[in-house]
Amino acid sequence: MPFASIDDLESALAGASYLPDRGLSTALYLSLKLEKPLLLEGEAGVGKTEAAKAIAQALGARLIRLQCYEGLDVAHAVYEWNYARQLLHIRAAQEGTVDESELFGPEFLIRRPLLEAVEAEEPVVLLIDEIDRADEEFEAFLLEVLSDFQITIPELGTIEAKQRPYVILTSNRTRELHDALKRRCLFHWIGHPSLEREIEIVKLRVPGVPERLAAEAAAFVAELRMLDLQKPPGLAETIDWAHALTALGQQELDVENVETTLGSVLKYHEDLLSVRDETLAGLVASARAR
Amino acid sequence: MPANSVIRHVVTFGRVLREAGLEVGPGRVADALRGLDAVELDRQDDVYWTLRQTLVSRRGDVEAFDRAFQAWFLDAAVQPPAATKPPQTRGERRKGAPPGPGPELDGSETSLGTWSEEELLRTKDFASMTPEEFARAKRLIQAIAVTRPLRRTRRLRRNSKGHALDVRGLVRASLATGGDPVERAFRSRKEAPRKLVLILDVSGSMEAYARALLLYLHAARGSGRGVETFAFATRLTRLTPELGARNPETAFEAAAGRVQDWSGGTRIGASLKAYNDEWGRRALTCGAVVVILSDGCERGDAELAGREMERLARQAFAVVWVNPLKGHAEYEPLAAGMRAALPHVDRFLSGHDVVSLESLGSVLGGIERRHAA
Repeated sequence: MPFASIDDLESALAGASYLPDRGLSTALYLSLKLEKPLLLEGEAGVGKTEAAKAIAQALGARLIRLQCYEGLDVAHAVYEWNYARQLLHIRAAQEGTVDESELFGPEFLIRRPLLEAVEAEEPVVLLIDEIDRADEEFEAFLLEVLSDFQITIPELGTIEAKQRPYVILTSNRTRELHDALKRRCLFHWIGHPSLEREIEIVKLRVPGVPERLAAEAAAFVAELRMLDLQKPPGLAETIDWAHALTALGQQELDVENVETTLGSVLKYHEDLLSVRDETLAGLVASARAR
Repeated sequence: MPANSVIRHVVTFGRVLREAGLEVGPGRVADALRGLDAVELDRQDDVYWTLRQTLVSRRGDVEAFDRAFQAWFLDAAVQPPAATKPPQTRGERRKGAPPGPGPELDGSETSLGTWSEEELLRTKDFASMTPEEFARAKRLIQAIAVTRPLRRTRRLRRNSKGHALDVRGLVRASLATGGDPVERAFRSRKEAPRKLVLILDVSGSMEAYARALLLYLHAARGSGRGVETFAFATRLTRLTPELGARNPETAFEAAAGRVQDWSGGTRIGASLKAYNDEWGRRALTCGAVVVILSDGCERGDAELAGREMERLARQAFAVVWVNPLKGHAEYEPLAAGMRAALPHVDRFLSGHDVVSLESLGSVLGGIERRHAA
């Protein structure tokens, strides 16, 4: 445990260009301290994946990421045999001299993220991203891996973790996860950051952003979140947008530059249509008034 | 280990949370104690986060936790959670329905119906059933096997008639033949049921059908994973957990207790919007077959209903609208909400009797993307 206190961890994360709120730093600190996986939930673009990357950097650990999707199976999550090499090996050898145990040996194994994390010698952060997208069968399998950190390959036997990887799971809540999985994890819901923090984050993540522009962009996005939109913009959108505006050499918001760049904040045609003309002018005015 | 007083505090707090409906097992309490041991107890926010992250496991429980935390550690008065209304709709309350002509009623026999009676019952409009008939029809509805549309998964299964090579099997088989694949093994994609989302209108105008259709929802919920159920009149309520009870009566009571606006007015557009905002955004609709069971009598904004239907249809694999009124020979989709919704509906069906619900199953089983209505 490289961090003595929550404050310690916060400053290490800030060094990795990540500014968590107190809740998230407590969650990260506790999950390291109690050696339990951390389940992060929240709307898209609030920085769930970024949190894992930042803590890996702060810990000086390697980040291993498993992106989940519907139909994810063992061959893509754990391991697969390198069939092409196996066939070539049989061909190259003298007939009858290859036996099965040789053919299904470690050198013919393709390691996927979970096996990689279990086998790692150095400290690793294992990020299991968007677990809610994987099938429930996979969730059950994952539960097994997370409880004893060992993986059984029929041809090779059981591989045990030399050290427990630090595990972070993220979910967009497209479905409720299984209780058994949740019981294994600490749970933290990440909300949108406060305005002050969002301005801080934008300044940290967008090099060269004018102070005024950062504040106005964050205030504008905060206003957008109050509107009835199909997809309220997340922190990631604010950062993208500030990048775009900075690249265009803008110093502050005005109706014109907002109109031309709004596509990096609102990703639905309907949302773009609803934020127009007077609405847009009003939002720009009140963002500038702050 | 934290001091004894802290331990007692946390254990009691765990009990308070359990009473508030959270699942707080001894494992979680132990985590909370270990967590408190690791943070500064004089920082209230750290204590709050530690307890929340160890004792709460779902977003929906955060509010109840906050209330309990407020009451327990900050000495504020406990606000009681909104009292749930007792279920209103029981079989006896079906006064509004016209009595059926019912030649099968004479003798008031309690024995099981004969074949012909059952046949009659299967094609009888739910709205014109007597309570006795409905009680018998209930069994028929529950027995409906809900056919689910299938999707192909990415996972491959060994199958000698498949088309994808099973290379692992092939390598094994090639060992004996010096690397020549003499025996070929194949795999093919498996099929799994598609997600199914059922949204039931329980407003006043649907009263005569709501009970029967809710039973259908219960049967569908029992057909396996990936079924989500909702009800709405003026606002949307998710019923999936309630309808998960095996016994239909228990499920029904629980569902009726959850829905606060039972037999209220209809706001289809607003309810669909609530669905799209809360659930569609979380990608529940993606690749799902969505079934809306409603008469389409919109009291609110019909234009909104059209817009939200369009949004729904764009995300869903297919949209089915079940309207009990369509069972009547002279029915025309005149209701404003129905007219606005129809352009975005793939299949438009009736759902006024047992037979029509059975045929819904076969439609779902064979549904394809973007059917003409």
